[in-house]
Amino acid sequence: MPDNWGFVAAAYGLTAAVLLIYWRRLAKKERELERLTAGRSRSAERSRDRLTAEQSRERLPAEQSRERLTAERGPERLTAERSREPSRTGHPRPDPDSRPPLQQ
Amino acid sequence: MVKTLGWVAAAALAAGLVMAFGVAPREVTQGNVQRIMYVHVPLILASYVAFVVLALASLVYLIRRDAGADRLAHASGEVGVMFVGLGIATGSIWGKPTWGAWWTWDARLTSVAILFVMYLGYLLLRGTIDDPERAARYCAVLGIVAALDIPLVHFSVYWWRTLHQPPSLMKPGGFTGSASILWPLLINLLAFVVLYAYFVARRVRLLRAEAEAAA
Repeated sequence: MPDNWGFVAAAYGLTAAVLLIYWRRLAKKERELERLTAGRSRSAERSRDRLTAEQSRERLPAEQSRERLTAERGPERLTAERSREPSRTGHPRPDPDSRPPLQQ
Repeated sequence: MVKTLGWVAAAALAAGLVMAFGVAPREVTQGNVQRIMYVHVPLILASYVAFVVLALASLVYLIRRDAGADRLAHASGEVGVMFVGLGIATGSIWGKPTWGAWWTWDARLTSVAILFVMYLGYLLLRGTIDDPERAARYCAVLGIVAALDIPLVHFSVYWWRTLHQPPSLMKPGGFTGSASILWPLLINLLAFVVLYAYFVARRVRLLRAEAEAAA
């Protein structure tokens, strides 16, 4: 019987090709998943940075107005407005009787 | 660990090739085309291993509802389908010069084709059901039922008058050929079982990562 090396080559070649394709497919899927995970964590970082920036932008006008007020009236005036009535007992907080009742 | 398994599989496959072409003798009646056996038989036996692992993992899933067992069954099914498909293809390539036909509706060939189609259906079923829990449950049942075909495939050559030769390795009384044929066959079998373990380990890791990314 002839050796039929062509059939032998076809069987081994087909097996090698299919196994190689499957191996490469696994590697490709792993790379895609890694890229996806890395992209997700990058976008999470970006959204966190954007949120922080927005929060600081929201705070900015209030800080600016306080600075403007300090410049107009002077630091003492501003402190006086914000200070509380001195306590009779020497406690830093006002006496319980003078405190307004809690509101719901 | 997985990488080491990959290198072991590559080394074992290389050793198997050397044994199949360098050590194994030229067969007297068939000539060198018989060397296809060193890839055909290990592929089919490794696919049996894959489907038995799939059935056991499916059983564990049905009892414990363990997602890890389902991932093992899924990975094992995928690699098993690839191996049995390659086993059919290499058998067909071997059949043409020896039997004079690419395919014949012989009991062994038919039963192994049914096995292939059932597990291909198993993979398709996974893809068609959106709910992962339901897909895992249905596939576990199908995986166990389909595994019942494995003994049918193996014993078909004894139960029916068939063109396919009886088993070479797993038969009563053991292997009866020479050691120069047995060792190349065993080394190739070991290589394909290690390759199966490597592919399954990698696929399970990928399935776990996909589940975590989707959550």
